[in-house]
Amino acid sequence: MAETGKLDLVERLTNECIDLCRSVLRGRKVLDPLLDPSFRTDRLNRAHDEQRTAIGEMELAVDRIMSAVEKIAEIDFSDVDAARRQTSACCDEIMEACCFQDITGQRLTFVTETLGEVGRSLDCLASGRPSAPSSAAPAGLLNGPALPGNGMEQDAADRLLAGGSK
Amino acid sequence: MAVDMKMPILIVDDYKTMLRIVRNLLQKLGFTDIDEAMDGTDALAKLRDRNYGLVISDWNMQPMTGYELLQKVRADETLKSLPFVMVTAESKVENVVAARQAGVNNYIIKPFSAEVLKAKLKTVLGDF
Repeated sequence: MAETGKLDLVERLTNECIDLCRSVLRGRKVLDPLLDPSFRTDRLNRAHDEQRTAIGEMELAVDRIMSAVEKIAEIDFSDVDAARRQTSACCDEIMEACCFQDITGQRLTFVTETLGEVGRSLDCLASGRPSAPSSAAPAGLLNGPALPGNGMEQDAADRLLAGGSK
Repeated sequence: MAVDMKMPILIVDDYKTMLRIVRNLLQKLGFTDIDEAMDGTDALAKLRDRNYGLVISDWNMQPMTGYELLQKVRADETLKSLPFVMVTAESKVENVVAARQAGVNNYIIKPFSAEVLKAKLKTVLGDF
């Protein structure tokens, strides 16, 4: 009798171990898209770099805008024409600095999409649903803003456009 | 020949801030008739509806990109000679090469200065 009880226990434990292994394998399969080395390099690492670059760009833009505002505050308005020129130059500076919103917007969209993909995989893991296929990388010519050191400067683009080499 | 500062100009960008920046810079240069579109599809409809003198377009937009808009403009018998300037954060060699092959008149990489915009427009339109 005692022997039968032991066998039942072993059988139950074995079945639980098998279930556990199956769950681990299912979970692993759900997380497959995130465990793909290309996801780590193309998406996670890039998202990290995009986020860091966006923060740096925002800081630079705010600094540029603040500097222009401080210059306006110091303008001597007793000479109206000179004051108008200086104010106009500061307004140009502020407008140019505001270009950051487009570029950081594109960078942060990439970060948001990457986090969304991680979130969807974790949802699938939690609910036991199969994982959705990983969203494709941006098509061909849609690269978004280049990370520092990876894109062309305006001069190089001008030369290339004129038919020369970069 | 002098540039007609009253010619209609269409600026295309999906970021409202960029539309405002480009509009303000153009107005500062003396251009007075400026229209806006939020993507290539919207822009193409406007281009077919009015006789514009210049298009300044972003690249990365949905559903129709600026590159696709450029291709459609160059393929259209009535629009094919329209001056087209790309203003974009896309700064890879392949982007500039593709835009050149598609017939872009100039290519400005974001972020850009008022001086760069002015210089490129002078290259495309002539002195003003």
